[in-house]
Amino acid sequence: MFDTRAMATGHARNLAVELDERADSATRRAELRLVGDRVTPMALAREQTLPVLGPLVPLFPEGALRRGSIVGVRGSGATSLAMAVAAGPSTSGAWTAVVGDPDLGLAAVGELGVALERLLIVRPEPGNWSSALAALVGAVDVVIAAPRHCISDTDARRMAARLRERGSVLIHVGDRWPVGADVQLDIAAGEWEGLGDGHGVLRSRRLDIQGSGRGSASCPRQLELLVPGPGGAVAALAA
Amino acid sequence: MSAPVRTLVAWCPDWPVVATGVDLAEPVAVVYANRIVAASPGARAQGVARGMRRRAAQGRCATLALHERDEAREARLFEPVVAALDDITPRVEVTRPGTCALVMRGPSRYFGGDAAVAGLVHERLTEVVAGRTDIRVGVADGPFAAELAARTANPTRLVPGGDVAGFLAPMKVDVLERPELVDVLRRLGVCTLGALADLPASDVLARFGSDGLGAHRLACGRDERPPDARRPPVDWTVSDEIDPPADRVDRVAFLARTLADELHRRLGRDGVTCVRVGIEAETEHGEQLLRFWRHEGTLSDAAVADRVRWQLNGWLSGSATNRPSGGITRLALIPDELIAAKGRQLGFWGGETEVDQRAVRVAARLQGQLGADAVLVPERKGGRHPDSQLRLVPAATVELTGRSLDPEPDAAPWPGMLPAPSPTRVLAEPIPIEVLDECNHAVVVTGRGLLSASPFVLAARGKRIEVRHWAGPWPVDERWWDPEAHTRQARLQVVTVDGRAHLIALADGAWAITAQWD
Repeated sequence: MFDTRAMATGHARNLAVELDERADSATRRAELRLVGDRVTPMALAREQTLPVLGPLVPLFPEGALRRGSIVGVRGSGATSLAMAVAAGPSTSGAWTAVVGDPDLGLAAVGELGVALERLLIVRPEPGNWSSALAALVGAVDVVIAAPRHCISDTDARRMAARLRERGSVLIHVGDRWPVGADVQLDIAAGEWEGLGDGHGVLRSRRLDIQGSGRGSASCPRQLELLVPGPGGAVAALAA
Repeated sequence: MSAPVRTLVAWCPDWPVVATGVDLAEPVAVVYANRIVAASPGARAQGVARGMRRRAAQGRCATLALHERDEAREARLFEPVVAALDDITPRVEVTRPGTCALVMRGPSRYFGGDAAVAGLVHERLTEVVAGRTDIRVGVADGPFAAELAARTANPTRLVPGGDVAGFLAPMKVDVLERPELVDVLRRLGVCTLGALADLPASDVLARFGSDGLGAHRLACGRDERPPDARRPPVDWTVSDEIDPPADRVDRVAFLARTLADELHRRLGRDGVTCVRVGIEAETEHGEQLLRFWRHEGTLSDAAVADRVRWQLNGWLSGSATNRPSGGITRLALIPDELIAAKGRQLGFWGGETEVDQRAVRVAARLQGQLGADAVLVPERKGGRHPDSQLRLVPAATVELTGRSLDPEPDAAPWPGMLPAPSPTRVLAEPIPIEVLDECNHAVVVTGRGLLSASPFVLAARGKRIEVRHWAGPWPVDERWWDPEAHTRQARLQVVTVDGRAHLIALADGAWAITAQWD
């Protein structure tokens, strides 16, 4: 019945004893919860998060990107989805770096919500790949990696440790990353809307996204979204 | 409140240009991030001014020679100039390459008055720069007034003690070097430092915050920040041995970075920050080299590391008589003038934030590591194709902070542009394909801009994939006035049976996939 956190301080214990004398157990419990909230530290390290756009919230166990985590995006439409994930932190002032995507369509990146004035495009040689990534981690909040070559297991583990230490988020596109992601988003199916036989224009794409991952993200999730929606930004499916 | 310390400032005009080693009569300018930071008198005579864009400056003066800014070289070449003052006072501090300051109290008594010291300094420095530029010397209460005195000097100017406010009063507010604040002040009708000084300090603080208060203090002829009476205790000094002794800058610079970090952390822990830092090096033969650097704002760790590198460069590449006789065995950073770290008020919306600073730093580091072409940022340009609306430019060529890439609100749309969503993959090398109809005949676009048949199959590199939906063609006829650049193409949006969307184009009779939606 007693919240263990509420027991953490003497102040809270006194309050709890005082409350114990009251008869009404329902109000007592409610007030205890208030006390519990009050003695919780403001933000635990693992609770430091970066916001994501509203439609994407159900895909993440905390409803936001946890700092220091790795997000994997796979399947047809992965680039759009990765940019949409990065758009949340980017609109709230974070910098985004894209490593190794030579053909990226910048107009689409902007439409999906990434602030182009805070975007760095880095194109290292495969030999410099990990040193470039290591330099970006910690300096830039969101790093999007789209490797065209295989990343070694050691490099990936070292990068994961560095991410946890520095608090940046790595989003990797494709299946070239050897270590499992904290949050893995797989695109099961995609369907374009707006185009007919000789008429219309591409308007939006409905993506069927399967979420999995490790720890609190291991519970499977499924979500349908418009990536991109009308106008190019990500949108929730109209009910 | 005590008056600011009487200070002498010696200023070499146009030092960035002087450091390039060219004749000042020639039109020469130094650029950084596409803006002119300094121009030779020859260039100024033709209308080139500081802050101008590179193109605008070239427009004014076609023969203008441009040099990229190299602060390390500026600092290196300035070191012999500062060294010439070492026997006047041991405490010469470098404000920035081209400007140095010394505290007058001791030298003035020793040499018999301010005028004598100013004359001596001018004589010594003129000897060292040997006609490359002239030297201006100003003496006043406090470094700010002294620097302004130096800028208006010809060649020396002494502002009598206690009369700083009177000296500053007619100056324009622009000399505060705070563009945003100055802009507001001017619009409020406060055009001179005297007018700013007449405002009540509490009102200035309420309206403009601590930055405005600093400006107000300067305008009143006081120090920008009240000096902290505490003497810095010895343990804030950070130092490290170098073994084996280093005779190359890059080896010491590496250590300098760690020391700067360490210093910053220690000061931060005690809630202070320094505006003046001493860089001390000891050589294997026991020589001790010490130089002070000052910063108008407070010195961040990166700024300290930069200054250490410049200073070491100056020492190690000096002339044979000045340079240390052995390798450097010990490096120390001495925080000298401390103020309470109240933090800098960062922009509430827009403006520069710590996050921006970090990103700018990493961009610079990666450019050094991977080459300037490997770190790119988008820039908006006009166009109707997905690849021409934005282009990538090297991060070194633009000012990274405070940019805005939002499309101009009143800009008309490009005719012929396909509506959003734009393709996420714009192929640098389009994939050549064949577009076939149901009877396996190639699909063509007629002269009237119509398709000869409905596309049914896309064939590329021996593989065939069926078309599920398509729309188009949308013809564009571009640059018909220029035979070289003239292009005609017709575009189609196609969704294939695997659910992928492609933008395909017919140009010069050949189809190709130019962009994809991934």
